[in-house]
Amino acid sequence: MNPVCRQIRKDILHLAKVSGHGHIPTCFSVVEMLYSIYSTIRHDPKNPSWENRDIFILSKGHASLAHYCILAECGYFKKEFLSTFGAFKSDFGCHADRFKVPGVEASTGSLGHGIGLSVGMALGIKIAKSDRRVYALIGDGEANEGSVWEAVLVAVNLGLNNLTILYDNNMSHAKGLQINHPAEHFRGFGCEVIEVNGHDVEALKREIIKKGNKLWVIVAHTKKGYGCRTLVENHYEWHRKSPNDHEYAKLMEEICEETI
Amino acid sequence: MDLAARDDKIVLLFGDVSVYLFQEFKEKYPDRFYNIGICENTLITMAAGLSAQGFYPFVHSIAPFITERSYEQIKLDMCYNEFGGNIASCGASFDYAWDGATHHAYTDLAILRLLPHMEVIQPGSRKELDVLLRSQYNNGKTTYFRLSDHPHDIDVPVEFGKGVVLKDCESKLTVMTAGPLLGNVMEACGEIDVNLVYFHTLKPIDKKLIGKFANTKILVIHDALGLYEAICEVPHLSVSYHGLSDQFCSSYGTLKEIREALGLNPGSIKKVVLRQLAKS
Repeated sequence: MNPVCRQIRKDILHLAKVSGHGHIPTCFSVVEMLYSIYSTIRHDPKNPSWENRDIFILSKGHASLAHYCILAECGYFKKEFLSTFGAFKSDFGCHADRFKVPGVEASTGSLGHGIGLSVGMALGIKIAKSDRRVYALIGDGEANEGSVWEAVLVAVNLGLNNLTILYDNNMSHAKGLQINHPAEHFRGFGCEVIEVNGHDVEALKREIIKKGNKLWVIVAHTKKGYGCRTLVENHYEWHRKSPNDHEYAKLMEEICEETI
Repeated sequence: MDLAARDDKIVLLFGDVSVYLFQEFKEKYPDRFYNIGICENTLITMAAGLSAQGFYPFVHSIAPFITERSYEQIKLDMCYNEFGGNIASCGASFDYAWDGATHHAYTDLAILRLLPHMEVIQPGSRKELDVLLRSQYNNGKTTYFRLSDHPHDIDVPVEFGKGVVLKDCESKLTVMTAGPLLGNVMEACGEIDVNLVYFHTLKPIDKKLIGKFANTKILVIHDALGLYEAICEVPHLSVSYHGLSDQFCSSYGTLKEIREALGLNPGSIKKVVLRQLAKS
C-alpha cells in the first residue's frame, strides 16, 4: 500500500473513532483514487479558487471524510481542524459544504447530482475555450440513479472530452440493483473506457493524465473497506459504524499489517 | 434574445421545446445555444455547473417537468450550492389545457417559493417579463420565470418585488391576484367597489403592501397555488381563496373552458366577489 494512502486510512479511522461518525468502508475504497487525482490535477491549496485550476467533484458525497483527509494532506487546511468532524459547529460534516471547506467545489450528498454538475462545468470551460478539466468521482451504488446516465448521455452528445469520470466499482450495490459490467455500459453510451485496479496508485495516475477524444471514464475496481480485512468482509455492518476501543485497535493493526 | 446577444455570459439550455423560436440566435451564437434534450434533471444540474463557471444560464422547458420533476436539482444544485441561474417555463397552470393533467402545472409557484435563494416571478404580460428578466437574470439568485402564452393586456407598473394597487376604493374587501388571470379578474371587478391588488413577483412577496389592506377582508383569486400561501405569511390577515380545489383537473379542451369549469371566468369571479362583499 502507498504509505500516504496508509496514513490517510489511519487518519480516517482515527477521526471516525473520536467523532462517532463516518462511512469508513466507502472512504477506504476511494483513498487511492483521491490521492492519485490530487497528485495529478492542476490545483493550488494556497489559492483554492485559482482560475486555472482543474476541478474535482466528489459526487458520492458520503466519502467526504476521505476527501477532507486528502485535502488536509495537500495543505488546504490543517489536519487538526478535522478533529471536529460531524460536530454541531464543525465546518466538516458527513456531507461537505462548499462554503465551509476550502477545496470543495460543490456541496454533494444526494446521489446522482455530481456528474450533471460536472457536465455543466465542463461545458462552461469549453465555451470559455480553456484547457482546464473536470473530474467527477461517482459510486457504483450511485449509478442506480437515472440522472447519472442522463448526464453521461448528454456529455457524450456534447462531445465533452474535457471531463473524466472515475467510477468506484466497490460492489456496494451488490445487494440491490446490480450493474455487472459497468465498462460495457459506459462504452454503450459512447464513452472511452479503461478498467484499472482502483488501489494501484501508479496505474490510476497513468489513466488520470490521459485526455481522450470523448468522455473519458476510468472504471476503478475497488474493495469497500480496502486495507482492513474486517471491513472488507463485513462492509454492510460497517457502512455507517464508528469503532469502539477494541475494534479500533484491531482495525488499526490490520491497516499496519496490510491484511488485505 | 437581444439581451442574450449583448451579454456573452448568457447560455441557453433547452429541453427540446421552443427551439425553433431561437434559430437565429443559434446560428449567431452556437457556443451559447444548446438543445440538451428531454432530460430535465440534467438541464437544471448543468445550469448549476455553468453558473459555477461564471455564466448566466437560462433553462427552458415545460413547467411541470422542469419544476416538479427537477425539484431536488433546483433545491440542491442551484439554491443550496448558490449556483444561481434562470428557469423559464412554459405551459404552466392550464396553458396546455388539451394535453390533460400530466401537463398541467399549478404547484410550481408554491413549491419553488419554499426554497432559500429563490426568486419566483409570474409575469402576466410581455412587458412584465421583459422588465423583470432584465433586472434579475444576473443577480446570482435562482429566478423562476413562469411564462404564459395567454398574457393579459393591462399595462401595470413593474418593479421587482413590488405589488401594484390597481384599485383602492376603501372597500371592506380586497381582491388579490397574480399573473395572466388579471385579465379575467379586472373584467369581473371593474364595476364592483372592491380594492384590487396585483402581483407579478411571488417571492419576495410585497408584505408591506399587503399589510396596508390588513383591515379589510382579502380574497385571493388565482389559477395556481402559492400566492395564497405567500399572502397568508403576513400576520393578522383575514384571507380566503378562490381557485383550485383539492383534485386533479381531468378535463381537456381550452384554457378558457378549464377556467370556466374552475369558476375562474369573469362571470364566476364576479359572483364570488359579490358574495364575499356581501359577507364583509
